[in-house]
Amino acid sequence: MSQSILVIGGGFSGITAALEAAEIGEEVFLVEKSPYLGGRVMQLNKYFPKLCPPSCGLEIQYQRIKNNKNLQVFTLAEVVSVSGDVGNYEVTVKLRPRHTPPSSVDLSGLAQSLSQDVENEFELGLCKRKPLYMSAPFAYPYRYVLDTANLTEEDRTKLSKSGQIDLNQQEKTITLQVGSIVVATGWKPYDASNLTNLGAGRIANCISNMQMERLAAPSGPTEGKILRPSDHEAPKRVAFVQCAGSRDENHLSYCSYICCMASLKQARYLREQYPESRVDIYYIDLRTPGRYDHFAQETLADENIQAIKGKVAEVEEDVASGAVWLTAEDAISGRKLRNSYDMVVLATGMQPNLAQETLPLKLSADEEGFVYESDNAGIFPAGCAVEPLDVMKSAQSGTAAAMKAIQTVRGR
Amino acid sequence: MTSVSRIEPDLGFIQDLQNVGGLDLNKCYQCATCSVICPISPMDKPFPRKEMIWAQWGLKDKVVQDVDIWLCHKCGQCTETCPRGANPGELMAALRNVAYQSLAGPRFLGRWMSSAKHLPKLIAIPAVIFLIVWLITGSIYGTPFPTPHGEIEFGHIFPGDFSIDPIFGLAALFVLYTFYRGISTMAQTFKEQPRTFVVGFHRPQSIWVSLWQVIKEEVITHKKWRDCGTEEPEEAKFKGHILLFYSFVALFIVTGIVAFTHWSGKVVGFLDMPYPMALWNPVKILANLGAIGLVVGLVYLTKRRLNAAQRDGSSFYDWYLLATIWVVTLTGILSEIFRLLHVAGLSYIVYYLHLISVFMLIAYLPWSKLGHLVYRVVALAHARRLGRVSTEISTEQKNQLYVL
Repeated sequence: MSQSILVIGGGFSGITAALEAAEIGEEVFLVEKSPYLGGRVMQLNKYFPKLCPPSCGLEIQYQRIKNNKNLQVFTLAEVVSVSGDVGNYEVTVKLRPRHTPPSSVDLSGLAQSLSQDVENEFELGLCKRKPLYMSAPFAYPYRYVLDTANLTEEDRTKLSKSGQIDLNQQEKTITLQVGSIVVATGWKPYDASNLTNLGAGRIANCISNMQMERLAAPSGPTEGKILRPSDHEAPKRVAFVQCAGSRDENHLSYCSYICCMASLKQARYLREQYPESRVDIYYIDLRTPGRYDHFAQETLADENIQAIKGKVAEVEEDVASGAVWLTAEDAISGRKLRNSYDMVVLATGMQPNLAQETLPLKLSADEEGFVYESDNAGIFPAGCAVEPLDVMKSAQSGTAAAMKAIQTVRGR
Repeated sequence: MTSVSRIEPDLGFIQDLQNVGGLDLNKCYQCATCSVICPISPMDKPFPRKEMIWAQWGLKDKVVQDVDIWLCHKCGQCTETCPRGANPGELMAALRNVAYQSLAGPRFLGRWMSSAKHLPKLIAIPAVIFLIVWLITGSIYGTPFPTPHGEIEFGHIFPGDFSIDPIFGLAALFVLYTFYRGISTMAQTFKEQPRTFVVGFHRPQSIWVSLWQVIKEEVITHKKWRDCGTEEPEEAKFKGHILLFYSFVALFIVTGIVAFTHWSGKVVGFLDMPYPMALWNPVKILANLGAIGLVVGLVYLTKRRLNAAQRDGSSFYDWYLLATIWVVTLTGILSEIFRLLHVAGLSYIVYYLHLISVFMLIAYLPWSKLGHLVYRVVALAHARRLGRVSTEISTEQKNQLYVL
């Protein structure tokens, strides 16, 4: 019987679960696939409920992680196999090489000298990065990472001469003995290019809500100035298209819970930056659960922010001006509207990562890929792997999963 | 002071709609994707989103006054993009089906025509009528399959003068009267609609001009139909419909010539044509071309409907019409073939079935989906007058206020 707990996924709920268990004295392994912790929250400009920047909540968590000897973090790590049963799981984890030294050396000069530019996945394609890069602002661990797939021969020689980079680091496999597992694999933004009638990926000034977060974030590609992608002009008229792929049986059949609030929040970003800007939010139902309703009322009291009941079903681009034309029916007045905007934000929903990837675990999933626990397996899902949640509820869900995991390894 | 009006849902109406194709209407959550996706829905008060909520709320009064149900050609794009699987296209069809049922009496016929369980009665009426005729003529000849001059002639058992013409003549009068009643009902509901103020460039056109445009653009050329899209399966529907339409026109002309020459031949001898007509007779050639056109058109439409059935389902109204035309066509062709092959028994039996199916096509026409022939034309003419169908705007721009 192993007393250790494995947490898969280092986003907000995974970190919370790992810390709760570790701070109570359990041995915890936290496995994260990407080079940094913090997950989707790291990409936000501000998050609910208090509209803090992500550093506000996460830096404290990173301190707690750093100071806790019971907690071991593996980034660039993936669970490849799990055998055994509750209380005695043997977990094989694959560790991809980082190629950089285990100190917080500033490698920016070296990175800039590399020749290739690669799509920046953290910035959701809004800018490029070098193959040697800092994967996120205030990343934990605060270390550069090298992606060897995008190196030329000259780059390789340059890097090996630098003395900082170990190009020969190989992939490693480790085995962990754990008694219980928390699955906090999180979510990804729904691929808006599936929404053929909404123009995402096809129309330059039609962006997703996660891209909007990066545009508004001071650490983002525009240093926090919201500029539309086509010509880097400040958008004066912006529309938000709610339920872009959500509540739609052809895409995601469920409500992603937070997109209405995200759009209201982003409308405020715009209004704060550009006092003369106008924002229209096209919705089916404006869902502002619980105490968020107060925030919605306050936001909509701004007369330059208008909410229109009617889903956008047609998006066209005016190539010459970069404007985006939307067509929707205002279901309250019963008139079709055809309006032009400088920029359009698609409020895409959350798709669980496990919808397209599988874990070698005893887990049940619904048809959308959200997971729930199997009886007596000692495996507890948490956060947005279970259902769409906001950050606060993700944390609660992480704590709940940690409690169950602790009960499993200790007995009641 | 606002007056609160209470919605009185007609639950029976919702049930009726669900029975004739609007099964999923309650799934709608009013996102209005359908109104935007529809290529022919107007900017003001677009359809079918408003029809969905009227149907959900059981607002029968609203729906029966609605001209928009006749604008829809059911391309199915709204059904395909509906995020809830609420099938707005099906609902529009169901609303038309309810209109066939309720625009004109007798009520029992409308009810019988709405579901397969009444089909035996609908078949029995012509079957009994023509069987009686056959029993009488058969007993005169002493055989049910008489070939007096060695030739099969359907006129022997179903003589035109005493059976076919009076029966179908009466049926036609009955249908015409029903349409007159139906159109009156429609006109009345249109009148009850709120007036529309139009600030326009040109005077709203008269109903006769509108009607002529409909006949030109919707009926003769089917031109407006192309606005619904020109890709499959819309293309198959278009081809099938236009073929079927012109085949029926051809057969109508044939019937007209036959009736005219026959009855006027009684007065002016040389006009009378000998029957059965020879195969080289131009009228016969036209008739046979019509028959081939029907088969090809039916194949297009049936194939499409079998595909469509997987996606959005078809109602009894759809299948009744398609099946009846199939039976009319096949029995027509087979009775001619058996006659030419001198198979007396088979040819008479098949011809008997032919008469039954033709009766079912014609006598029940206003309550079947074929009723669109009249109702859609009338509604489209009215819609054009209201400006709900985009028409070419005259270049002469005079801003004036008109009241419709």
